Amino acid sequence: MVVQFSDCAVPARCSPGRRGEAQVTVHIVEDDPGVGDALALLLRQIGHEVAIHPDAESLFEDPPPATQDTVIVDLGLPGVSGVQVIRWLSRLKTPPKIIAISGQPRQVIEKMLGDDQPAILLRKPLTEEAIVRHL
Amino acid sequence: MDEDQSGGGPVTPSVSEARLSSVLGTAVDGIVVMDHQARILLFNTACEKLFGYTADEVRGQNVKILMPEDFALAHDRFVSNYLTTGEKRIIGIGREVRGKHRDGREFPIELSVGEAVTPEGRQFIGIMRDISARKAVEQRLAQAQAQLVSMTRISALDEMGAAIAHELNQPLTAIMLYLQAAKRQASSGSGADSKLVEIVDKGVNEAERASKIIQRMRRFVEKREPERRAVAVAPLIRECLELVTLGNACDGVAFAIDVEDDLPQISADPVQVQQVLVNLIRNALEAVRAVEDKRVSVSAGVRERDMIIRVSDSGGGVPAELVPNLFKAFSGSKKKGLGLGLAISRSIAQNHGGDLAVEQAGSGGGAAFVLRLPLSVGRASAEAQDAGEGMKGSSE
Ligand SMILES: Nc1ncnc2c1ncn2[C@@H]1O[C@H](COP(=O)(O)OP(=O)(O)OP(=O)(O)O)[C@@H](O)[C@H]1O
Ligand SMILES: [Mg+2]
Repeated sequence: MVVQFSDCAVPARCSPGRRGEAQVTVHIVEDDPGVGDALALLLRQIGHEVAIHPDAESLFEDPPPATQDTVIVDLGLPGVSGVQVIRWLSRLKTPPKIIAISGQPRQVIEKMLGDDQPAILLRKPLTEEAIVRHL
Repeated sequence: MDEDQSGGGPVTPSVSEARLSSVLGTAVDGIVVMDHQARILLFNTACEKLFGYTADEVRGQNVKILMPEDFALAHDRFVSNYLTTGEKRIIGIGREVRGKHRDGREFPIELSVGEAVTPEGRQFIGIMRDISARKAVEQRLAQAQAQLVSMTRISALDEMGAAIAHELNQPLTAIMLYLQAAKRQASSGSGADSKLVEIVDKGVNEAERASKIIQRMRRFVEKREPERRAVAVAPLIRECLELVTLGNACDGVAFAIDVEDDLPQISADPVQVQQVLVNLIRNALEAVRAVEDKRVSVSAGVRERDMIIRVSDSGGGVPAELVPNLFKAFSGSKKKGLGLGLAISRSIAQNHGGDLAVEQAGSGGGAAFVLRLPLSVGRASAEAQDAGEGMKGSSE
């Protein structure tokens, strides 16, 4: 298992040059309303288009994220788990960039993820710096 | 009533005494009759076994020979005090005292004393039961419980730390992000407010400080992997039931254990698993307290590579409004409880690579909690390594 657990995990599939593009949609799948709202507020300020989904089901109802989009997924979702969301996203024909976030202990995350490791995993509490670095 | 009397005729004291002692001879409890001067008149067979003297040896002797020194001294005072003042210290009360065997060994007995006024004067009858065995069991259980309490307290602290860290993480994350957004807002555009930026900056620093504390706490807790060893499930379950029923009133509660034969062992920290089961059983016991039909059952079986332990009860089930946050810390509905039990229990299960879930309307009609724990590492990896890799999974 090669998931890095520090807040500055180097994204394995991070395409260079993305930093300049402002107009991507960032999808947030997060059940905690406070975290979801704060994250959306911050990202909109930076100039991103943001879509919030309180659970996996509501993400699935909308058209799938485009390849230039980023999906921020909380691993501890109720119902369909964050891990299943990651699995679904990464099997799309043109998968978006995936950032997993979690407040769980390391062992729990490892066990949840198994083989479905996302490129980027950030642990809560999140900082602006850590997120912006990966967008 | 008198027809079985072999001698017929009037009942003489000696016949009555002989009959009495033959009846007493069959009694399981030790029975001693003494006169007002504490001299032994009658000493039954159970007493002979208990104290190692024959009835002939002790007849006429002071009953003190059956007691340890310190108690013998006090006994003299009790008897004379009672005879002069009528103040009862032991008569009709029954209590635990120590007896002394012929070989000097002391042992705990339960003694009740009665009094009879006979034509020969006042007599006292003592009924004694050896409670060494019961004492030993009580002591062993008390020790086990004390040990469990102190060990679980330590690991509860760890688990509580983890649970709190997790709960605080969410709002703290939101606070950090809001403040950073506020700072951005205040410093952008033409109306930049440098005073406001400065204040928000301070807020951000404080939130960062709090989040460092959380991270440190989390790192501290995560350092400790659960201690794993091979654990047999059936005895563990029985021990947990014993522990819970010992410390709680469980009148009228029917307990059932249903464990599959030849269960494989699990690889786990037995104290932590015990902590989970004790909490589940205790919750179940509390849940059935208010209902008529009180049943608590624990079952265990294997499903694929997991051990499934189910604790179900016939109580009212988990209130619907509690279900969404049931496994979060401080969610309980009891005045007494902290509402930490299930949060800690789930975190223990997850640290073992398993999980804890609730099923409403379990087999008992009430709630059922399902604890899933992976089977021992050795077995699981042996099955996984069909290809025959020479590596041995050391399961400790
Ligand atoms: N078997 C059950 N049947 C019905 N309700 C239950 C059952 N088990 C738990 N609950 C409910 O879930 C709540 C949380 O249980 P939990 O064990 O976490 O905390 P607690 O028992 O209240 O306190 P403690 O920290 O002492 O364990 C309980 O207060 C109770 O309302
Ligand atoms: Mg409890």
